[in-house]
Amino acid sequence: MSRVFRLAAMLLGIAPMAMAGNEARPAANDWATAVVRIEFSRTLYDLYQPWARRTGRTLKTGLVVAERQVLTTAQDVSDHTLVRLQKGGRGEWTLGKLLWVDYRVNLALVTTAEESFWRGLRPAVWLDGAPPGEAALQIVRWREGKLESRRAEFTQFTVHPSQTSGLNHAQLEVDSEIQGAGSGEPVVVGSRVVGLVSFQGGRGCRVIPASFIRQMLTAHGADNSRSPGYFHFYWAPAENVASLAQLGLPGSPRGVLVTKVPARLDGQPNVLRRRDVLLQVDGFAVDIQGDYRDPDFGPLMLEHLAVRGKWAGDEVRLRIWREGREQTVSYRLPRYDFAHDLVPWGPYDQPPQYLIMGGLVFQPLTRAYLQQWGAEWEQRAPFRLRYFVGEEATPEQPAVVVMSQVLPDPYNIGYQDLRYLVLREANGRPVHTLGQLQEALRQPQGGFHVLEFLANDSFRRIVLAAAGADQQATARVLERYGIPQEAVLTGGAAAQ
Amino acid sequence: MHWYGSVLDGYSARSSFGEMHRCSNVCLWAYARRLVGFCKTLVTVGLVGWAVTSAGAAQPERSVVQIVVFRQEPDWTLPWRFDAVRPANGSGFVIKGRRLMTNAHVVSWARQILVRRFQDPRPYLARVEFAGHDCDLAVLTVEEERFFDGLEPLEFGELPQVRSTVVTYGYPAGGEEISYTRGVVSRIELSAYTHPGNRQALSVQTDAAINPGNSGGPVIQDDRVVGVAFQGIPGLENTGFFIPCPVIQHFLRDIADGRYDGTPQMGIQLAPLQNPAYRARLRLPDNDLGVRVDYIRPHSPATNLLQREDVILQIGDYPVGSDNKILFAGNRVSGKLAIQLVQCGEPVSLRVWRDGRELSVAVPVRWFDEDRAGGNQYDVRPRYYVFGGLVFTPLSRDYLRSAFQGAARGESRDGDAELTYELFFRPQEDPGSVRKEPIVLSNVLADSVNANWSLRSRALVDRVNGMRIECLEDVIRAFETNTNAFDLVEFGRSQMFECLDHAAAVQAQARILKNYNIPRDRQL
Repeated sequence: MSRVFRLAAMLLGIAPMAMAGNEARPAANDWATAVVRIEFSRTLYDLYQPWARRTGRTLKTGLVVAERQVLTTAQDVSDHTLVRLQKGGRGEWTLGKLLWVDYRVNLALVTTAEESFWRGLRPAVWLDGAPPGEAALQIVRWREGKLESRRAEFTQFTVHPSQTSGLNHAQLEVDSEIQGAGSGEPVVVGSRVVGLVSFQGGRGCRVIPASFIRQMLTAHGADNSRSPGYFHFYWAPAENVASLAQLGLPGSPRGVLVTKVPARLDGQPNVLRRRDVLLQVDGFAVDIQGDYRDPDFGPLMLEHLAVRGKWAGDEVRLRIWREGREQTVSYRLPRYDFAHDLVPWGPYDQPPQYLIMGGLVFQPLTRAYLQQWGAEWEQRAPFRLRYFVGEEATPEQPAVVVMSQVLPDPYNIGYQDLRYLVLREANGRPVHTLGQLQEALRQPQGGFHVLEFLANDSFRRIVLAAAGADQQATARVLERYGIPQEAVLTGGAAAQ
Repeated sequence: MHWYGSVLDGYSARSSFGEMHRCSNVCLWAYARRLVGFCKTLVTVGLVGWAVTSAGAAQPERSVVQIVVFRQEPDWTLPWRFDAVRPANGSGFVIKGRRLMTNAHVVSWARQILVRRFQDPRPYLARVEFAGHDCDLAVLTVEEERFFDGLEPLEFGELPQVRSTVVTYGYPAGGEEISYTRGVVSRIELSAYTHPGNRQALSVQTDAAINPGNSGGPVIQDDRVVGVAFQGIPGLENTGFFIPCPVIQHFLRDIADGRYDGTPQMGIQLAPLQNPAYRARLRLPDNDLGVRVDYIRPHSPATNLLQREDVILQIGDYPVGSDNKILFAGNRVSGKLAIQLVQCGEPVSLRVWRDGRELSVAVPVRWFDEDRAGGNQYDVRPRYYVFGGLVFTPLSRDYLRSAFQGAARGESRDGDAELTYELFFRPQEDPGSVRKEPIVLSNVLADSVNANWSLRSRALVDRVNGMRIECLEDVIRAFETNTNAFDLVEFGRSQMFECLDHAAAVQAQARILKNYNIPRDRQL
């Protein structure tokens, strides 16, 4: 996106913020009545040994946003066992509880029944629209008993996936000297809240903007039945005007090229086709880079139009160029669901699934599993596993099961070194979930289990004894390796 | 490094790509370039006397030569270009027939080869007569006949015993004159050969210092050559590898007819058969014999002769253990060796267990070239085609290495997921959809005709003007036969597509070739 567009966006934002800029700048301590600390004690899992648990503690920043409601980001909230709140940055902690969390949009609400906690606290006020370019932004949090307020400089509005899902929405980027932010610290201007910091990399911070937060909180407050939607199709910039000309689009270059339209998992018909030119979304003209002019944020990638005042199931009017003529189609927004990804985000708020049979450990392929390879998991995780990241789940292949390791036992001798193999079939049945595997293992072939894997550097097929030997071996392995149960299959789709 | 699914022949390449390189076996040639000036303990003058004495009165050092090569490798992303000329040193030795033997990696991509005799200041021009890149051996001839005057060819010995002593001769980095190092044979097994990148063969590990520049030099025991030094493991002390005589003799027998046919393969992947349940299911006796056919490559020599779930009990004269190992000269090594010892075109007799009974099968083995793009390629200029500034070239390991700077060498297998999958996994996983020669858009050479292209490089080409692209010739045909105003190029997994004004591209062709100094629009 050109700098010219960015400048225009900033100028458009000046008018509403001029008022905010005229307000006397409140002292940093004024935010002491709205900013609190939240401690989440959590169960942490080692996905190399999915039955193993340990405990951890996460400190986050919360913002009082309504009566008895403290908002923070959803990162590092999952699998919590205890919530505590602290105001004033020091002193007594108050027991709290998680009121609501949505990992798709990376937001969580916390409350406490303790009346005294709320005394002296008052809800923060959200900023309407975007902050002006010259506004003095501050990032606020409690640190070592004092309220820290660090200057932040507006950089740009962008569209990025949430930190806890693949859901794209507008985000604000700022530069700041603050260190270790990204845990829900409010970004403020004057007496208004601009958003919450969800990520920091170097000096750059990514901020969930107020307008997006308010939309989500309003929906939650209403009936909590609305889900965010998304555009499930793929598009490419149409900067190559020859491509538009080849498709016969008259006039000046505009729109983007629809390149891939996966089958919808919700049964809705696909109204878009590959090689359509997407010209407008709900009346917003789309330029050849895929940006539209957002009334609040200026030029933004069109993905944000799936969540800007919209929800899953809502109709979006798409103006397209197809087969020599412009036409309008009505696109029903699919619900953003973790299960739509072949390698889903999370899972959150559920113990990792696994199934052990005779020492062979099977696990679903998830991002959390791949993230066991560390921050650089996208380079370091086994290629055959990370290859699936970014693929859509399909009815034919809704998920992937990995044989992650073999716990040595006389039963599985000869296979002890196998690991990270993608399971294709068990006893002649296709396997994509642990449930399918469990079912297949109930029906061995002639007294044997026959397991087939995708092409790999080692075995593609292994055979193991059934007829009771498998169960005996499983019991022996559980005993020898101190594993409490042979399978955890609860959950299915990740908690939202 | 794990090798459970021992592979009988070459397409284990992918495995070595992923695993062995993590062990960082690196050709001493490449190693030499990075470690100029590096010098391990060398045998001193006093030890020279010992070495000579030890090697016998034949004075083998007189038959050991220094090889100075000026080499130039192509740029696989801009395939008409070559990198800068680089000098490098290796070693070699005189063999029968007034020839020199060295490593293929010493002389690959050579623009000029000079050889120097022991204590002789005169350089002689040499040329490659045979290069076996799969076994990393080469035979050179020297144009001036007098080069061989007074030089005795070295005789070859047998596979040395483990724990026996060997002496390496060569011209490693760290000095100008010949160097000798002594060590014991530590281990004998099949290991990944770094030069081809996707082949395993018999190699001998020794603790004799084998350093950059030793490549191609003889390893001697009892006055006879028992191996050719060829690779080491950077960072691992006292570990060097040499190519032993069974591999050398196979190479020499192969070229005896004036042509190198290569190390043969059968086209199957074998898996150890040690689990009692699996053996019981196949009704095999509990005798630790037999290895299971886990995969048969389509169109390979074994395709119609063997079946998946066949159990190979014996290859040639070698019974095969349930760990997929044979006993070879007192060493347990991969059963793959029993096939590699046969010459291309010859049948390999197998004793096979199928459906509860034993039978004999003869499989004619051959050189397997279908996976050449998955290995390092040498001395053949990359194929390409340029149209409208779009550079198309075949997908290869070399291309990935150039495009992703080391990805294909194993430092990371990331590169590009689609290209990596296409090159290394699709042939096994979905052979029906494999393209004969996957083509990538390697570069877009900026010109007004393509100025607005979004996709600039590293994209797998699916179709051009509606034609499915199976090889580079298809790309050329699709552009040259287009009668529409625009050329439509469609790409792989992303399903992206881009267009080119055909008339403008044709008009721009000469200009682009001139601007980018490209000698011709194609190299086929």
